[in-house]
Amino acid sequence: MKIENTKAQMRKGILEMCVLSILNQKEAYPSDIIKKLKESKLIVVEGTLYPLLNRLKNSELLSYNWKESKSGPPRKYYLITDQGKSFLTELIGTWKELNHAVKESTSKLKAS
Amino acid sequence: MKKVENINLGGQPFTIDEDAFIHLKNYLNSIHKHFSDSEGCDEIMEDIESRMAELFQEKMKGHSIITNKELDSIVAIMGTPEEFGAESISEPIRHSSKEKTAHKTHYTSATNKSKRRLFRDPDEKIVAGVCSGIASYLGIDDPLWVRIVMAVLIFGAGIGFPLYLFLWIIVPKAKNASDKLAMKGEPINVESIARTVEDELSDLQAKLTDLSKDFQSKKKRK
Repeated sequence: MKIENTKAQMRKGILEMCVLSILNQKEAYPSDIIKKLKESKLIVVEGTLYPLLNRLKNSELLSYNWKESKSGPPRKYYLITDQGKSFLTELIGTWKELNHAVKESTSKLKAS
Repeated sequence: MKKVENINLGGQPFTIDEDAFIHLKNYLNSIHKHFSDSEGCDEIMEDIESRMAELFQEKMKGHSIITNKELDSIVAIMGTPEEFGAESISEPIRHSSKEKTAHKTHYTSATNKSKRRLFRDPDEKIVAGVCSGIASYLGIDDPLWVRIVMAVLIFGAGIGFPLYLFLWIIVPKAKNASDKLAMKGEPINVESIARTVEDELSDLQAKLTDLSKDFQSKKKRK
């Protein structure tokens, strides 16, 4: 079993939650989202983000508007939808449970 | 001196030299292939191209022509399809043995072989490339053995002759780099395509050199 695959699977779920959470705070351009995700080391390459945004948009958790730009063609500006907000709330709930579960199981390991 | 191409990338115009143009085209094709099964492939491609255009605009301040140097740094930022992660398709990532650092590894992909397809090999032909195509398909390095079997079938059993003609007609010729790679069962990615093109060019160069030597010696005899 390749550790890279497991790591990738872990990141995948968390990445969705983080993207929704970033957009929950404020609407943003993909480049802003990328910047935040790179800061927290959640993504390494930018190409990871675009298929994810596309999927979230297709599932109606996000939507976008076009905004005019001075230096070129109009750019997409993403916002979270109401559905996205409730999805996020559930994900955060699960994350807290998982967090707790991980703490419990890893601390028990240390004790024995 | 190099030729340049004018391109529209993500709605913005750029001038790019011919080498970088080929690399860029192959890079975008490899991404397109990666997403070709997903719904929204076109939209993802548009988003990626727009982002690349933004990055190039920032990078190119002052310079006018995109070369491989700039392209490589943008590709490092965007990532190769293999680096996009489990996000892109819902299957586990395949890992190649060569990873990171070196310039060329941007374009490497999994080491497992893709499905082989039967083509006629125009580069290694005596008559029509039927035997060398069959040899590639079966994974036999030297087409000689296939030719021997074919010769026996033709001269010994007689059936070889119509069989050869049939295959000549039915089996397609491997015309471009991706056909030739599929013929040999090699993965089709930017690196292998670039390698195939380079091989073809050096073959062509060798043939031209031979041809001109021939011509020179014939002239001398006269």
